[in-house]
Amino acid sequence: MNTATGIIKALNSGIKHLAIKRFTLRYPEEKLKFVGDGYQFDPSTGVGIAGQKGRHMLFHDHCTGCQLCSIACEGVAEAIAMVKVPEEYKHNKKAIMPQIDYGKCVFCGLCVDACPFYALYMTNDYELSSFSKEGLIYTPAQLQVKPFVSQDSEIKITNRGATHG
Amino acid sequence: MNNELPPGLALQKVDERIMTLNVGPQHPGSGHMRIIVQIDGDFIVACDPDPGYVHRGEEKMAEYRNYITNIPHLERPVIHDSCNILYPYVLGVEELLGIEVPERAKYIRVIASELNRCVYTMYWLAIYGIFLGHSTMFMWPAGDRELLIDLLEKMTGARVTHAHFVPGGVRNDLPPNFEDVCLRQVNYFEKRIKEYAAIFYDNPILIARTANTGVLSRQDAIRLGTTGSVLRASGVDYDLRKKEPYDVYDELDVHSNVMKEGDSYARSKIPWLDMLESCNIIRQALQKMPKSGSVRVKLKPNPKGKGLDSVYKRVESGRGSLGCYIVSDGKPEPYRLKLSVGSFRNLIALPYLLKGEKLGNMPAVYWSLNYWPVEADR
Repeated sequence: MNTATGIIKALNSGIKHLAIKRFTLRYPEEKLKFVGDGYQFDPSTGVGIAGQKGRHMLFHDHCTGCQLCSIACEGVAEAIAMVKVPEEYKHNKKAIMPQIDYGKCVFCGLCVDACPFYALYMTNDYELSSFSKEGLIYTPAQLQVKPFVSQDSEIKITNRGATHG
Repeated sequence: MNNELPPGLALQKVDERIMTLNVGPQHPGSGHMRIIVQIDGDFIVACDPDPGYVHRGEEKMAEYRNYITNIPHLERPVIHDSCNILYPYVLGVEELLGIEVPERAKYIRVIASELNRCVYTMYWLAIYGIFLGHSTMFMWPAGDRELLIDLLEKMTGARVTHAHFVPGGVRNDLPPNFEDVCLRQVNYFEKRIKEYAAIFYDNPILIARTANTGVLSRQDAIRLGTTGSVLRASGVDYDLRKKEPYDVYDELDVHSNVMKEGDSYARSKIPWLDMLESCNIIRQALQKMPKSGSVRVKLKPNPKGKGLDSVYKRVESGRGSLGCYIVSDGKPEPYRLKLSVGSFRNLIALPYLLKGEKLGNMPAVYWSLNYWPVEADR
């Protein structure tokens, strides 16, 4: 193949893409769709359930204050601190629950694997930015709230190429 | 200038033609490392790569963490190839603890590591394209990489640092309907990367730029101890997936790509051919994978080794052979952990390749080594 044909072929393969829809995701307007409600863990079988590793969710009626999540995080990010909560439960005599600092968390999910009481899960919420460092620290009361995450966009593959839509 | 020097002092002789040039460590053309080149006019007469700018002490950190909490920080050196850097560690710990891994978990690991190899190679290809002045080759791989990142996100729950492999299997089973989505996106991905041939690999401008620059002969490649795509571009057929199959690679039909030229063009084409091969392996693994079954062995909370013991395991990563040597003394933490990475082994070839080249060819030769500074420094 001589030089001229090669260059024309290269240009041609680029020009063909002018007629194809863009593949890029328009992020703040469109948001990706996830599988499931986030990463969860089943301690009876020891296997996780696939899902996005985002912000945690804490179930106050399951948490016993055993500190296993905090111990699991010790060698990783030291993001979990056990703090006093005002509510008193029969199963949580010490009335302590995890408080997570998202300035430190690396979203590995090892704390979820450590929880034997189905109390700590991860959710699809990934937009956690804040104007202050204190805003990144989520108290047990904040972790209790189930986040609303809009999911509308998915990769679609047609004969004319792939798009987000 | 006063020519009378104090007694005992000698001045270094200055060469009138040679100039020393620092490329990096924050120059975008070199990554996070410094290359000290000596140039005579436009030609490089000597080159001294100076790694260590992003040294993090991963190996020392591993001695203070147990076998499970080592996982998130060990994948940090190569966040785009995080499954492959965890692979030898996980295989080694499994041998130390005497764990038998379920069959389905082995196939999931193979799929995850092949997807990850493609994600890394696409990122590398984007950088290689932009440093040769080919902007389209930056945009296309960076966009098409999204197809595989999306698959890995569905599979592991994170876009880059997955923390998916654990001693005893993988963290979670595949999501429902994953096989169909994976097959569809991998097929489309393969179709897309075949289009790169016309615009990049068969492009006469690229061939003129990279062919016959930085030629590494077969003897030199073996003598210097290079691995991976650099070794295979010099005509040595050595792929660990084929030569020392780990997990289920012996049940899959793996073809290793070899080229004889040993120049920058061959070194940049081998990873692309590897990506096509990875698509093949993923399709085979999806077909042969058991449809159900356990994916993780339940371990005790703080697994320990069985007394004084050591193990060395290696896998084929995106940058060549990646080994992990673990010494255990019966405690929950490893006594010593050593990572032997492909990037660092390939770097030794750089002074040999750049000698006599033009300075303008430096990015073409340097990036063709498939070098990742953060991994080499650990």
